[in-house]
Amino acid sequence: MIKRVLIANRGEIALRILRACRQLGIEAVVAYSEADRESRAVLVADEAICIGPADAKRSYLSAPAVISAALATGCDAIHPGYGFLSENATFAEAAAAHGLTFIGPSAEVLERFESKAGVRALLAKHGLPTIPGSDGVVADEAAAAKAAAKIGYPVILKASAGGGGRGMRVIQNADDLAQLFSLCTQEAQAAFGDGSLYLEKYLVDTHHVEVQIAVDKSGTALHFGERDCSVQRRHQKLVEESPSTALTPKVREEFLTRAAKAIGAAGYRNLGTLEFLVGPDGKPYFIEINCRIQVEHPVTEAVTGVDLVALQIRLAAGELMPMTQAEVERRGHAIEFRLTAEDPAQEFRPQAGEITTFRSPSGPWVRFDSHLYAGYEVPPYYDSLLAKLIVWGNTREEAIARSRAALREVEIDGVATTRDFFLGLLETPSFLNGTATTGMLDAIGTADILAAAPKARA
Amino acid sequence: MPQNTERLGELLDSLVPVLVERLHETGLGEIEIERDGAIVRVRAEDLGAPVAAAPAPSAPRGGTPAAAAAAPSVADERRHPVRSTAVGFVKLAPDIHVGGKVAKGSLVATVDVLGVAVEVRTDHGGIVAKLRCATGDPVEYGQELFLLESVGEGKL
Repeated sequence: MIKRVLIANRGEIALRILRACRQLGIEAVVAYSEADRESRAVLVADEAICIGPADAKRSYLSAPAVISAALATGCDAIHPGYGFLSENATFAEAAAAHGLTFIGPSAEVLERFESKAGVRALLAKHGLPTIPGSDGVVADEAAAAKAAAKIGYPVILKASAGGGGRGMRVIQNADDLAQLFSLCTQEAQAAFGDGSLYLEKYLVDTHHVEVQIAVDKSGTALHFGERDCSVQRRHQKLVEESPSTALTPKVREEFLTRAAKAIGAAGYRNLGTLEFLVGPDGKPYFIEINCRIQVEHPVTEAVTGVDLVALQIRLAAGELMPMTQAEVERRGHAIEFRLTAEDPAQEFRPQAGEITTFRSPSGPWVRFDSHLYAGYEVPPYYDSLLAKLIVWGNTREEAIARSRAALREVEIDGVATTRDFFLGLLETPSFLNGTATTGMLDAIGTADILAAAPKARA
Repeated sequence: MPQNTERLGELLDSLVPVLVERLHETGLGEIEIERDGAIVRVRAEDLGAPVAAAPAPSAPRGGTPAAAAAAPSVADERRHPVRSTAVGFVKLAPDIHVGGKVAKGSLVATVDVLGVAVEVRTDHGGIVAKLRCATGDPVEYGQELFLLESVGEGKL
């Protein structure tokens, strides 16, 4: 049983978790930094507690501050949201040691799924296809050359300790490898304090496809369909949709079933996401796991009708899976747009400042998750997400048409936003025909996409 | 509510003389305490004659008493809120009581954060004018623990 949850996050996700708690009849306390005193989650909450200054290291990223706040407010559980401490095994362990339920996988599970190379090996053993690559870290240039020849060029050389899109280099042929291997080792050593490298086949023109899964304490694992997050800028997702246009129905069902089975058997618990790359051959290759609720979860909620945050809390409280796989029905098509305080006309430069106008869209099957209001000051300290627009339609075409109408209703003034970029994207052929891959924004410039946006009324 | 009025009367009779005496002793501009849900404030007027302020209803825990905020009596520059430097459970130093003297930079409280005592020190010297918390209370980061009132130079 969970009676009172400390929400250790900010922005739209704090509000989202607050809503789930209220719906479940659970009390909630919002933990906030001094910079978020006027945020909507704090204003709407029955109770809130300031845990530190604006600097996240001393507030949202401070495990002692968050746990102390939970104890000071009489909470019995902590919801970490996404980012910050959400996948931190040490934090999960400390919370448990103070008698608090961590709403997410246990510390032991987080630890087991921490190392990227380790998780890949573990899930490969449980039947998930992974990208062909070296058998772990390559000892030296000769070993790398041998592995690359076996896999076939191009390959991508990755720092074992890297992540988040950093510490990787594409190698086109054997000459490149000879030239770049020692340089990559030095770079990895300098950036991550660990020069070890591994290599993988470099897949070009891939879709980023991820599977939403949930596992209860008994190991019952379900999937909730997939999300296609191929529209990215520098590894940051901009648009997500479900289902993916990259999978045939036959591949899809087999792939989803296999993903759920593997993750349950590998000992994972609570909510999670398995990320895959789908190459031009239409086959998904596992790349990594996210052990938390994700920004784009509403896409899945829209097509399945399942409240994932509520499910996550119930599973953390020790409940068994309240549904069967057959009961998870996927219907229609959903798309999410991440509206951020970034200026697409200026290399997506982050913005901060007061929101002078805020009008949210509405209408059938339109959902708008946002912590904004007119007069709210967007602080410069945190990520730039302002709002998520989620639109559902019976078909992808219907969802797109409805998205155009909803985006035109969005009015956010005071900071530049990505709204017009999305209006342009919805006129861009490769997005409309579902062939957009993760390389899309390199192939088509932001300026061209912005130019495609219909002109606003003067 | 006659019963309440009666209780308030008793409260004022017992408290006010003590507070007035404190006011004289300490040289403070104002003393406020909370008893049984009522706030009693005693204030020294410009020329030194103490008067009892009307009891104000207690504000919800953690909030700022509205009546106190609305009654600017002592010059604000003489009053310094001392704030918590962490989130946890507070422990006030022994000399932190109304009328207690505090030297600049001294340790006035600790906040227990999972067994670690985080120090609270003041940037000002002065006399404790109002307590906003008690030892053992949960406090948030930045919460006002007590109000210090600086007195003329050389008094401390």
